[in-house]
Amino acid sequence: MSNHFIKPILYFIPLAILQFTVIPLISISNIVPNLVFVLIAFYTLRYGQFFGTILGFILGFLFDLISGGLLGAFMFSFTLSAFLVGYFYNENKIEFNTTSFFFLLIVFICGSVNSFVYSAISNTNTNVGFFSLILEEGLLPGIYTALLGLPIVIIYFKKGMQ
Amino acid sequence: MLKFIRRIIYSYKEYILLTLLSVISLTILSSNEKPQAKHLKTFALGNFALLNEAASSIVSFFRTDAFSEELRIENAKLMLEVNRLRKYRMENDELRSMIAFKDTCKYPLIPAKVVSKLVTKIQGNFIINKGFGEEIKKGMPVLNEKGLIGMIIDVTENYSVVRTLYNSNLNIAVTLQRTNTDGILSYDGNNLVIKDIPTTHDVQIGDRVETSDFSSLFPPSIPVGVVLKKESNVLGLLHSISIQPFADIGSISNLFILKVVPSKQIDQLEMNLLK
Repeated sequence: MSNHFIKPILYFIPLAILQFTVIPLISISNIVPNLVFVLIAFYTLRYGQFFGTILGFILGFLFDLISGGLLGAFMFSFTLSAFLVGYFYNENKIEFNTTSFFFLLIVFICGSVNSFVYSAISNTNTNVGFFSLILEEGLLPGIYTALLGLPIVIIYFKKGMQ
Repeated sequence: MLKFIRRIIYSYKEYILLTLLSVISLTILSSNEKPQAKHLKTFALGNFALLNEAASSIVSFFRTDAFSEELRIENAKLMLEVNRLRKYRMENDELRSMIAFKDTCKYPLIPAKVVSKLVTKIQGNFIINKGFGEEIKKGMPVLNEKGLIGMIIDVTENYSVVRTLYNSNLNIAVTLQRTNTDGILSYDGNNLVIKDIPTTHDVQIGDRVETSDFSSLFPPSIPVGVVLKKESNVLGLLHSISIQPFADIGSISNLFILKVVPSKQIDQLEMNLLK
């Protein structure tokens, strides 16, 4: 199983660079998708909940280290959301889960939870409303993150057609 | 017994793992200010920012930057100067000499580029390409030719982390220039707001907001923004004022660090409040 970690960690580096340099350019009123979460969701659906939870923890730790944000915030949110993604894991439906539009639905649900948890634990300002946290820090980034999962679905769908 | 425990662990291994990793994450989260965590972060940040810098220079190659660095420095200096003159017009010279107004223009400006951005709805952070090699220190204000952007919260040898105005953990003492009404500016996830201003104070849409004389973190009279709207609370006793910042924080790629070294004791006290 430990070999399975190498690929996502290697993919993490270019994705993290994109997240910090290119993704801010496509932010819509400070709402941004999370590329690293798409990676975590994809590998969790391939290798299961146990693997995904550890992967979320490792990539969250690395992401926290290089982002300049609070150390532990992404670590916790990625761990928790990868665990949630793990509930959708089914070893008989790996192809379906990762190459169909069902993948986008999973990314949307768990990505929303990820954004919400991150915002909730890293925010110390009591002026930020709870519903604002759910909608603007949770659902909207979740939708945007799911949109970014679309290329993966299209690529794998085309591969399947061939 | 051992077999039973093993079976339990095997059956619930995912939950045990989640609990364990969550506890570790939250422990690390609570020990952010410990020196070991800071050293680790500084090391990782400094190294990864190199990659980010290379990537952002490729990205900026495709973006047109009409202003030269010298012009931008001049612009920022003029912006501070204009704001200072505006204030001169509104106050008399006698009062000015009494409050011993500090001339913000005497501080040098250090130009810097944004290497990477952590954009979330409530946690705006930039990483810039200047660190303690350029004598950048924690707490220094960051601005551009239009107005205040944020402040330095972490410094490595060649890079620094800037906490922007769009970060719910940054509170700034500000004043409305026309009426000298003081308040605390913070970000509520949607707008920059100054809360709890008595309705008896004269506040008008379009009033300019600048850093306050009471702030020892920021020098006074750095332009922050203009009043966008004001709302009264239920009893009608207090205003909540929304501010539109002068600087377009979302699209910034070049900025300046105002090389201010505030009083060390006050600085330490206020930085403690920021933690």
